[in-house]
Amino acid sequence: MSGYGAGLHVDVEVQIDDFQLKAALDLEGGILVLFGPSGAGKSTALQAVAGLIAPSAGEIQLNGETLFRKNRQGAMIDVPARHRRVGYVFQDYALFPHLTALGNVAFPLWRRPDAHGRALEQLRRVDLAELAARYPHEMSGGQQQRVAIARALVSEPRILLLDEPFTALDLETRRRVRGEIRALLRKADIPVVLVTHDREEALAMGDRIVILDDGQVIANGNPLELLGRPPRERTARLVGVENLLRLKVREVLPAEGVIKCGRGQFSLETPLTDARVGDEITVGLRADDVLLATVRPHGLSARNAIPAKVLSVQPHGAVYEVRMDCGGVPLASHVTRKSVEELNIAPGTDLWAIVKTASCFVLRE
Amino acid sequence: MIESLWDPLRLSLQVTALATAILLFAGLVLGVLLARVDFPGRIIVETVVLLPLVLPPSVVGYFLLVVLGRGSPIREWVGLDILFTWPAAAIASAVVGLPLMVQATRAAVAGVSPSLQNAARTLGSSELGVFFRVTLPLARRGVLAGLILGGARAMGEFGATLMVAGSIPGRTQTLPLAVYDAVLVQDYTLANQMVLLLTWLAFIGIWWVRRLELAGTRGRGAGSARELEP
Repeated sequence: MSGYGAGLHVDVEVQIDDFQLKAALDLEGGILVLFGPSGAGKSTALQAVAGLIAPSAGEIQLNGETLFRKNRQGAMIDVPARHRRVGYVFQDYALFPHLTALGNVAFPLWRRPDAHGRALEQLRRVDLAELAARYPHEMSGGQQQRVAIARALVSEPRILLLDEPFTALDLETRRRVRGEIRALLRKADIPVVLVTHDREEALAMGDRIVILDDGQVIANGNPLELLGRPPRERTARLVGVENLLRLKVREVLPAEGVIKCGRGQFSLETPLTDARVGDEITVGLRADDVLLATVRPHGLSARNAIPAKVLSVQPHGAVYEVRMDCGGVPLASHVTRKSVEELNIAPGTDLWAIVKTASCFVLRE
Repeated sequence: MIESLWDPLRLSLQVTALATAILLFAGLVLGVLLARVDFPGRIIVETVVLLPLVLPPSVVGYFLLVVLGRGSPIREWVGLDILFTWPAAAIASAVVGLPLMVQATRAAVAGVSPSLQNAARTLGSSELGVFFRVTLPLARRGVLAGLILGGARAMGEFGATLMVAGSIPGRTQTLPLAVYDAVLVQDYTLANQMVLLLTWLAFIGIWWVRRLELAGTRGRGAGSARELEP
């Protein structure tokens, strides 16, 4: 099992009471996003890599060094957390409340002659040198986050692990700092594993993504592909594809490259797959890809214009989610507040839902 | 016969100082153990540590006589014979003050977030480093409160001390014992002086603990984390 080169290689089983995690991760560089609902085992996987919990079996390697190994015979390597040189940013940042920003960043450099200077230099890199004397409770959430990252990076770890680094921030701050943090991580030039349950964050931060559910890796690959067009229904549910429509195939038109499917009065054209007439299929459609119009549009490339009645309009993050009934099939669309106002969208309004065929994707079961 | 309060006061201070040192060490070890380590028989240890709170002091003293007296390993093997000396009074006082110290320390240590301790571990700290650089500084208020309460209780110890150290004027007779003797010989002037002194010391101790507790509750959001810093 040994002989890996640079980067992180994890293949472990962790047992905590009734919960079992089986995680296999490979990361050579860049940012790997560990994505999944809460309770999926994402944080557990990070803690195993950092040495804060011991797996029941498996192997963890970092840059060719074995950090953990336990096989069926029980042969055991378990490097203690303090010797792993793994940077860890905790969900609540875990800044020491009795130390200043500088004291926190200097913590891992204890008893080194240049601790003060190096800590200050690191704070400067995250643009916080002027707040060096502040205590954690005197800083904003975003500033605390940067101190936590500076502290994790100051002793030059071989990998950086971030556990839900943005959940402690409000939505606006989150969007604003995401780019800064990504640039910071890029500059650090070490592999990064970032845990999140937020789709937008996964898309913004990840070079690669591993999706965990109930202790199992269920998908891994490119974030844009996996989150934009999840290949399986289970993945789609996890990543939050708002519309999963159970439809019957009515016509297959290979010449046009489309399938016509529907249920009752509802009908939809989707891209061609190997489905046959009469098959029941699940079509995924992101709410962001459903446009709304007050009149049936003409001269439009989108092939599907579906009559819809609005059931509810609710704020959803920065946008509004409009839930509609389309002849017995529920459909959700995300629109901006301005659109809600200009189109006068309210429960009971009759609208046209416009969907490009290419935005629909047929999911494997 | 007692001539003045100076001998009992000196002995009380000696006994309290040694008892407090014992409390600090034993209280920290037991407090951390009970707060953080899940070992079999933990509830038994807990119960035994708390026993002196409810046992008659004479019973605690009797146990100590057995542990320190003739035929005990400490006396026969180590050759330590401290019965009826002031260090025996200090040990008796420490045992009686221990429950207060352990309770406070355990609560304070349990209140330190495990994620802070884990953070210190990932930042290269050994377990000793975690304790001295994170756990203890953050639990210091509770530890100090426990130490003051336990120390004050030790200073007021009477029954167990009488059993293991007697009441020898100038050698083992501390203030509480001297008060008893003074009243027996009807020297109320001396008794009044010593009673006032003991009451005043106890008042200062409890007042200090209350102040620490209040600062602790206010300190959650405000800047009081620094108040005790040099």
